[in-house]
Amino acid sequence: MSSPRTARRLSRLLAMLPWVIANPGATVQEVCERFGYTPRQLTADLNLVFVCGLPGYGPGDLMVAYIDDDEVVVEMADYFSSAVRLSAPEALTLLAAGMAVLSSGQGPTALRSGVAKLQTLLLPESAEALVVDLAEPGLVGELRKAAADGTVLHIVYTAIGSGATTERDIEPWTVFSTLGNWYVAAHCRLADGERVFRIDRVQAAEPIGESFTPPAKPPPPVVMYSPGVDDVVATIRLGPAAQWITEYYPLEVLEGDQDSTLVRFSASDPLVIARLLLRLGDTADLIDGAEVDAAQADLRRRILARYGN
Amino acid sequence: MQNVVERILNLLAFLLTVQRPVSADEIRMTVGGYDQSSDEAFRRMFERDKDLLRQLGIPLELRPTDAWEVEHGYVVPPDEYALGDPGLTDEERAALWLAAQVVRIGGQAAGPDALFKLGGAPVGGTVEPLAADLGAESELLGDVFLAVSERRFIGFDYRGSRRQVAPYGLVHRRGHWYVVGPEQADLSVVKAFRLDRSDDLRLSENANQFERPADFRASDAIPQAPWEAGGDDLIAEVVFDADLAWWARRQMSGRAEARDEADGTLRASIPVANVEAFFAWMLSFDDRAEIIGPDSLRSGFVARIGGGTE
Repeated sequence: MSSPRTARRLSRLLAMLPWVIANPGATVQEVCERFGYTPRQLTADLNLVFVCGLPGYGPGDLMVAYIDDDEVVVEMADYFSSAVRLSAPEALTLLAAGMAVLSSGQGPTALRSGVAKLQTLLLPESAEALVVDLAEPGLVGELRKAAADGTVLHIVYTAIGSGATTERDIEPWTVFSTLGNWYVAAHCRLADGERVFRIDRVQAAEPIGESFTPPAKPPPPVVMYSPGVDDVVATIRLGPAAQWITEYYPLEVLEGDQDSTLVRFSASDPLVIARLLLRLGDTADLIDGAEVDAAQADLRRRILARYGN
Repeated sequence: MQNVVERILNLLAFLLTVQRPVSADEIRMTVGGYDQSSDEAFRRMFERDKDLLRQLGIPLELRPTDAWEVEHGYVVPPDEYALGDPGLTDEERAALWLAAQVVRIGGQAAGPDALFKLGGAPVGGTVEPLAADLGAESELLGDVFLAVSERRFIGFDYRGSRRQVAPYGLVHRRGHWYVVGPEQADLSVVKAFRLDRSDDLRLSENANQFERPADFRASDAIPQAPWEAGGDDLIAEVVFDADLAWWARRQMSGRAEARDEADGTLRASIPVANVEAFFAWMLSFDDRAEIIGPDSLRSGFVARIGGGTE
């Protein structure tokens, strides 16, 4: 096996050569910035190119590559005048990223034209064949603007776990989307700490006429679920039809195979796990977790009562 | 590593120049770095290098060296090797790079390789207060994208059966990736398949296997709400309590009809094709929503909830 480092080095080298060939007179700094080289790495790569070429491997067969004063020179390497085509994952990732940003109503004009050019290159017959739709709930735009401007917002929020609705002032830091839901990470003045709110659960958001200074380095925009001391924990056995939840929830797989998996699930509210258990029906069994068991029994009783049972 | 890089550069330079299939033997005799003493050492080295070329996305094909097809040799077809130039400006490259930084697929931000191939861009820049994770397994995605762009048929396991599909398009919506297209058995019905429920994906050998209808729009094939996936089977009548009416309304698609009642509750007629997804949604309201009809759906929900009671 060749190491991933070798592959990355070659990949960059095979991209740098065509660009330098097409842009004679490029400076060391320009090439370094464009391809993420340090001057030392660039020199090392050029020294390698210098000893390679066509069979015979004499002075007329080898490529010419060196730094002249401050200029990067590559000659006798016409066979490397084109970059390697994009692999399918590379093409998709880049195009989908561009389209995702555009679909969220963001991105400069240059992104729109850049994506259009990539579509023409990668999907010449049908640009319609790839669609990336981040489908924003209405308040995403306002929250994003507040995050960019440093505007303190008063929000009405319904918690996912308990279903309780509260009002609070937040300092929105970042707005992000993951697995189909939009979130805002913020400093919550009510809790006096960092909180992540699901935006479709924000009923209303109004500026309170105050601004804040965002943290120099906001935390990474992910839904960090770290089990807290007050969390409830349940152990659940999943049948084959319930296996998919291991990919959707932050849970710990204790043991198992395709037919049966034992998982440990923690949540800040037992209702979250209770709902999931009711949904999974007889494809999952609660093995351990008294609080969740009680929450499930209570939720079942309430729903059945509503239906007159 | 230095030796490997040199050898690959020599091999590529040679293959891109000769423009004819060359046998492994000829490579061993001619190309710098391959002059191994033992057959076994050469074979191992050459196999590793072939893998590396494929890893780099370089097309390496085996073709007959003569009309009698007695011997086969390796070719890197220049037109398949080379990236067409999309003519990006530096501004456009920088915008794409920034987009690639804020959008993750399967938790991973794109590496810089693709941008380097397109001419490089200053790496870094300010990241906007937006980040999105498009989920799903990128490996499967790459293959499906290849099939879509080259119009290859795909076969995969889906909900317990093997499907053969003409992949017209690839769509990301609401956190899931879908491949959209008809099954080969009936090309008139365009369906949507969730990629995360698909397994054991295979692509047909040849490209250009089907025609996409001229008026095809992949986005039309994906339902707006999860419980609408798979064609309309029934219309659910649901009442939502007043305090969660706003949240219910927010999640309904344009195909649902909803009206506010005098007591503040919301009454809605909702198209349901995927009962599982619909039940999951109903459960998110706890006891503050009620399925009124049809009877089969209502009793199905009650049976599910009551399943564990004695």
